[in-house]
Parts: sequence; C-alpha cells; structure tokens
Amino acid sequence: MSKFFSSPFLVFSSAIALRIGLFFYGLWQDANSPMKYTDIDYYVFTDAARFTAHGHSPYDRETYRYTPLLAWMLLPTTWSSTWFSFGKVLFAVGDIVAGWLIIMVLRSSNKMSMERALKFASIWLLNPMVATISTRGSSEGLLGVIVVALLWAITQKKIVLAGFLLGFGVHFKIYPFIYAPSIIWWLDDEQLGRSKPAKEGEGSDLVSLVKNFINGPRITLTISSLLTFLSLNTLMYIIYDYPFLQHTYLHHVTRIDHRHNFSPYNTLLYLSSSIPDPSPTAIKLESLAFIPQLFLSAVALPILLAKKDLASTMLAQTFAFVAFNKVCTSQYFLWYTIFLPFYLPTSTLLSRPYLGLSAAGLWILTQALWLQQGYQLEFLGNSTFVPGLWVSSLLFFGVNVWILGIICSDIEAGTAPVITKPEQRPLRKKKEVKVKAKGKGKVSVLDIGICR
Amino acid sequence: MRQRITYLQDPQNAVDPSTLQITKDSISRKDLKAAREERITFGFDELPQELYRVLKASHELHIRWVSEIPYESITPLVSRLSPGIHVFYTPQRGSNASDLLCPLLKKVFGEIDCMSPEESFTTLPTERFSHSTAAQYYSPLSSLGDLQTYLSHKLCPASDNACHSRVSSLSAASTLDVSFDTISHALTLSAFFPSTTSAVSISKPATSSPSRLEVGILSFETPLEPEELSLSGFLTVVGEDTKPSPTLFSFPSRHHPSTSFFTSDFLLPTGLHPTLSLSISDATPPLDDRKCTLHTHLTLPRQLFIDKYQLSDPLFLSSKNISALHYISSPVDLEAPAYTLKTWGSSALLELSPPSSSSKEWTAEIPLHLRYLPPNYGQAGKKETQIPYPILFWACTADEGSKFGVNPFDRVNLGYDGLFGPRTLFFHLSPKPEGGKLVCPLSVPVLDLDRSGLVEVGTAAVVALGFAWVVWCLVGVWRRSGFGSGKERVEGEKKAN
Repeated sequence: MSKFFSSPFLVFSSAIALRIGLFFYGLWQDANSPMKYTDIDYYVFTDAARFTAHGHSPYDRETYRYTPLLAWMLLPTTWSSTWFSFGKVLFAVGDIVAGWLIIMVLRSSNKMSMERALKFASIWLLNPMVATISTRGSSEGLLGVIVVALLWAITQKKIVLAGFLLGFGVHFKIYPFIYAPSIIWWLDDEQLGRSKPAKEGEGSDLVSLVKNFINGPRITLTISSLLTFLSLNTLMYIIYDYPFLQHTYLHHVTRIDHRHNFSPYNTLLYLSSSIPDPSPTAIKLESLAFIPQLFLSAVALPILLAKKDLASTMLAQTFAFVAFNKVCTSQYFLWYTIFLPFYLPTSTLLSRPYLGLSAAGLWILTQALWLQQGYQLEFLGNSTFVPGLWVSSLLFFGVNVWILGIICSDIEAGTAPVITKPEQRPLRKKKEVKVKAKGKGKVSVLDIGICR
Repeated sequence: MRQRITYLQDPQNAVDPSTLQITKDSISRKDLKAAREERITFGFDELPQELYRVLKASHELHIRWVSEIPYESITPLVSRLSPGIHVFYTPQRGSNASDLLCPLLKKVFGEIDCMSPEESFTTLPTERFSHSTAAQYYSPLSSLGDLQTYLSHKLCPASDNACHSRVSSLSAASTLDVSFDTISHALTLSAFFPSTTSAVSISKPATSSPSRLEVGILSFETPLEPEELSLSGFLTVVGEDTKPSPTLFSFPSRHHPSTSFFTSDFLLPTGLHPTLSLSISDATPPLDDRKCTLHTHLTLPRQLFIDKYQLSDPLFLSSKNISALHYISSPVDLEAPAYTLKTWGSSALLELSPPSSSSKEWTAEIPLHLRYLPPNYGQAGKKETQIPYPILFWACTADEGSKFGVNPFDRVNLGYDGLFGPRTLFFHLSPKPEGGKLVCPLSVPVLDLDRSGLVEVGTAAVVALGFAWVVWCLVGVWRRSGFGSGKERVEGEKKAN
C-alpha cells in the first residue's frame, strides 16, 4: 500500500484508469439501456452548445443557468456523435489537473512528502464519487479545478493569475466570491515575507492600520479579479443581453422551484411560497436566510481563520455556505470535497478516529435518513414532507454545523505545529500533534466534538 | 335563427318514413332509437350584447365541451376530444377587447381558472397549416349546469316552455360546440346526444323573426372510397315539406371511426413522476394500403407536465412503446410549482409504436412529472387530482387529390388536426374507462398543514442554534488566538518556557 502511494505514476494511472473505465462504462450503458448514465445537466450543456453553434443564444435551451463560456467550451460536442462526449473528457481531465494542483500545494505550502501528499490527494483523485460525477458530465468538477488553481496561484504569490481565477470562478458559479475576503485577509505582510512594523506603537492608530492593510498585492488581486469578473460579464451581456443576467444570476435570487433538497429551509420555502401574499408587514423568515450564511462564510470565518490556514479556511467557508444555503443537493458536496486534502492532515477527525468516524457516520446516516424519506415521497408518493423530510434535513444541518465547529477549532489548533516544526511533519505521530495542538494539554481525548 | 336536428341511427334501426307524423309546424314519432345532433345557428342580432362584444373582437372562437361520462360516438360524428372545456381562439387583428373573453367564459360556464388570453392561454403553431387558431385554453368542467342557467336567462323568453325544456335537455349532452368565425358571421351551437330510445316531438318555435328548422333521420352506409362517409335517410324542413324527402349522399371526411379501443390509467405507485399507461386493444391499422401511424393527444392541466428533453432518446422511447414526441405546447416550465403558473397547462402529441403484426392488446407508457401543489388541511398530505382521458387515433394519408371541403358534419380546430397536413384521415379509437368516467385519477403528496405548525418556528430555532454554535466556536478562537496566524502566540509561549 505504501509502495502504491509513493509512486505518483501509480496514483495518477489509477485515477486516470478509474475515469477511463467509468467513461466507457457510461458509453456502454447509454447505448444499451433506457436508463442513462449521462447526467441530465450534460444534455442541457450540449443542447446549449448546439444552439451556440448555430448562432443562437445558449439560453434558448430551457434550464441552462450557466455562463455562456461553458457552452462555448463544449462547442466540440456539436461536431459529431463521437465528439459528443468531449465534455466528459474535459471534466475528467479537469479532475486530474485539480488532483495534481492539490499535490503541488500540499508539497509547497504544507511541506509534505510526496507519499503523504499523494495519500491525501487521493481523497480527490481516487474518490469514486468525484470520478463518477465528472464522467457523467456534470460541470461541478470544473469548479474544483478553478478553485484549487486559485489556491495554488495565491500560495505561489502569482497574484494576477489568482485574481483572474477568482473573477473567472465567480463569473462561472457565483459562490467562489466567498474566497475573496479570506484571500485578501490572508495576503498580509507575514505571508508576503515583509518585515512587520518595527516599533510596537506604530501600527495601532486607525490610519496606519488601514495604510498597512492596503498593500500592493491586495490591490493587485482586487483589481485583477474585479476586472476579470466585470469584463466577462460585460462581454456576455453585450452578446446575450438580459437572458444572460436572468438565467446566470437573477434566477438564483428569484427561484421558487423548491423541490425537496437537503437544505434546512426547504420545507419552510415550500410552505411560504404557496401562501399568496401574506400581510405586507410580516417579515418572510426565509428572506433573512442569507444573513447567517454570508456572515459565516464571507465575514467571520475568513477574518478569524484565514491567516491561520488559508486552505482549511476555504473548506470551512464552503462548508458553511453549503450547509446554510437555501438549496442544497449532493453535487454541492463536491465544492468542499476538493479542500479535504488540505484540512484532514491536521484534523482531529483523523487524529481521533472515534471522532472522525462518528462525524462521517452521522453525516452519512442523517443523509441516508433524508434519502429514505425522499424516496418515499418521490417514488412511492407518500407525503413525507412533515415530519420526515423536514426533521431529517434539520438533523443533517445539525451534523453539518457540529462538524463545522470542529473544523474551526482544528484550524486554530492545527496552525501551531505546521509553522514551528515543518520539517518533522511527515514523521510525527498523530497523538503528539493533538497534544501540541491542544496547547497545554488541558483537553482530553474524550471531549469529542466540544469546541474549545 | 336556423336549426338542424339530425337523428343518427345504426342501419338496423332505420325506420319507415311513413311512421312519421308531419304537420305544418311539427314532426313527431312515438319512439325512435337514435343518437342526435342539434345545431342552432344564430345571427349576430339575436345574441346578448355581452356575447356580441366578445365575438366582434374575435377572428375565430371555438368552445368545445366534452362530458366526463363515456359515450358511443356514431358516424359521422366520430371526432373526439379529451373531456372538459377547450377554447380555441384567434383575436381580431388590432383588437384589444380580448380582456372580455375570460370574464364571459366564467359567467357562462362557471368557475374556471381563466385570467386573460395573454396569461392563461397557450399559443398554437400557426405557421404550418393556416386553419389552426392562435391560442388554446383548457379547463376541466364536469357539467354544463352554469351554461344552462345562462341560456335560460339570456336566450329563452320567460314564457317559452319549449325553449326552457330544450336547454334543460342539455344535461344529457355528451359534447357541445360553440363556434364562431368572422367569415360566416354567425354563431353556431351544436350539441351531441348519444343514442337513446325516446319519443320524437319537434315543433317550430313561434317567433316573428325568420327561422328555419330542418330535421333529418339518417343512417350510415358503406362508402365506396376509404376517404368518404356515406349516409342515407330522410330530410324534412318543418313548415315547408309535407312529407320526408329521401336522401343518399357521400362526402369525403377527415374523421372516421375505428373498431379498436383503449384504456388509460396511472401505474401505481404514482410518486412524483407518474406514468400514464395506455392499453390498446390491438395494433392493426385501419387501412392496409395507406401509411398509418397511431397517435395520442394529451391535454395536461398544469399540475402535470411532459419533459420534452426526456422524450428525445430513442432507446428510452422504444422502451415505452413511443416513437416520438411530435408536438408540445411551449413554453413548459420544468420546475415551477403549480400554484405559481398562470397558463392552463400543456398539450402534447405523441406517436406510438405498435408492435408489428399483432392483434393482441398492448401497452404504451407516457412518463409525466408532477409539480408541487399547494399544501392543504385535513387530507393527510394528499391531494386528489385527475387528468382528462387522452384521445387516440390513427392518422392515415388520404389519396392524392382528395379534398375535404366543408361537409355538413365537419369539425375543424380540435387542437390536434392543425398539427397534421390537410390530407390526413383520423380514425378514432373509443375510450373504455375502467372507473366509469373519462378521467385518470391520481393522488399527489403535498405538505400536510395539520402537521406543519412547527415548521416556521422549528426551522428558525434550529438554524439559529446552529449559527450560534459556530459563532460560539469562533468566539473561542478569537479569544485565544485573535485574527492573526497564531504564530506570534506560539513563539511567545516558547520564549516563556
């Protein structure tokens, strides 16, 4: 086993072989079964690409809710029936590139040995769920490669490239905007290798604090990301006009298609959407839903954690964003899976197997409970909205925020050893890390899940 | 006002014309076993003002109602539609009075969910064949009770008992058509009554205005050409003829009967993606020497819809015994809950693929999808709903050169005829519902308001608690290590040690 993970060739060959296998299995199933392997969304993308190829708008395809760039990228799928699968190959290649970038970041920023980096990168590379999603033709994996490339670029201090990727990512799928505050906050003098203000008192008044905050790279990143985002949007608006805005962005604000999903708000949204205009003074509860979501994922988590461990903070942000979102489907889980290789090495979820196993177990169990209720509704026609679906979505939410608390504590604790003794990391025992991480040893192994 | 009453008989029930009593203003017979079509044509000046105003703003208006109660059709009145009320409408160019149509429909036919043609109607494809109207509307409507009340008040003089009894006899009608177009400048009302045995007693109404009443007793003959229908019998113009005049005539007809029949229902459990199953008695085309294809035309109220994208894969289609989805009204929202939509629903035309050379019963399956319906009280989270029975027909190509001119029993603008070329013959299959009504019922899971009292408070509480938990964890982080990287603290501790 250790021999396997010591060879990048073996790990990458397996990751590629896994995807090739699934790809051809998918082709076979599509050709022979009325039940399709290919994701429904893939037909949406390729239809949109066909509209684009014929000089029409991709938004002529109903339910196309993405940037036209995606349809453009998939133009080759319109060339012939063989080329139809081009997009799946593109998404799968994106997966592999993302895996390679994960290793680059782990090696350079976390100072990991190749073997250890390969092991953790395999969470993404050899993950059957990730490989299945991209070979079925879902574009979520493409987000993975954009986001991890952003992380790589910023840790390599390639500021302009990072700005471009950030702007591009937000244009593509909106949610990566939450990474902007954490990256900006992280990009301080310490990271840039500049000396701190020499005297104690110098940096304490507001003016010099602000002056200190506004450094070159931060300005460069802000400008380059805004420029990318705005110019892409302007370009698309010029070409496709209002439908572009409507389907890519405004739809997410005005959507009312709250078919059952994992979100804790789901039942509430069904209930309130069906009430025709309640009294104008009544505050609609769900319209406040963005407050906890954005406060955590775009403000509190970045400010408190980004300087401690940027990659893990991005995991925490994404996790918070998905858990508190008004819509939540299993494809969204891919958004944070890509960050697990950065967080897990210093996580108590690994160092304390019981904690890790309970977290994973509960995460799966509450999801399974929801799925079972969802199956009853969707296929058997039983009315499981209340209490079944509602309670299980709240339970799943509970497990999610519990795990989020653990992640927050881990990010705080995990920083110390990384910075003080990086060279020992590959060799140290996990127990030691924990004790070190927990500072003065006041915390026992038994305090599972209690945030400090 | 012109009236035409046609009795349609099976050939074996044909009567001897000498048994009819004809006076100068009436015609009668002790009993007659026949189906009946009554057709009344009104001039504009005979109509109530509100009706006249709507018609003046219309280029074409056809209102077709079909009863939920199954009936036997009879040659030549064999064309079918799904039960309920269908409205096919083309506004007058440049007219903005179409706002009056929906209020009038509600007033005449009762509570139907129609707001305005712009909001509630769907558009029909008009570019291919010019004889289709521009817009379509449908609503379930189980009885003509409101129409009868309206007619009694607006059309019948208070003292005219004959008029009132004719209106009340509409309770027995299986179909009712109200047709208007600017070319004929007249409103035609025709009702079909399935076959019964009853006494015949028809008198000419005693009005001062010029009127004509024609009574026919006809039975069908075997035609010479497959495109044609042939009828024989007697025609009498009451008040003009003293004895019935024998007649035999043939005419090319679009619509023909078929000996096949079908049953339609939902496969259980229906879930949120119900499958409509069509069991068809046989797969034999009505004509051997023509190209014939079997079609189903679905009228789907807004709570259900067809996903046209799902019906594009040949493997999937053939597993359901479907050849192709030829038409679906657009746009069909694929996500929205039923209660946020304003259009009435959608209609679709699918070609089925019968098994080759088989006289056995076979089945086709139409995959449908349910929208979310409004939450309700007191029904344990279920909402009982239904869709009207689909119609099935074989479409065969007519001989080159055959022309379907206007025949006395012709019916155009049925929603599906406009989707075919002008030289198409329709052979209609008879529906044989198992539940006694021409509807396919299903039960839809909805949010049960009896149990959802805690949803608002509970959701808010759980989200607030979850949020507080994360914030508490973050406050801990802040108190121990602040906003920074944590490096300073560790180094500081080291020095202290």
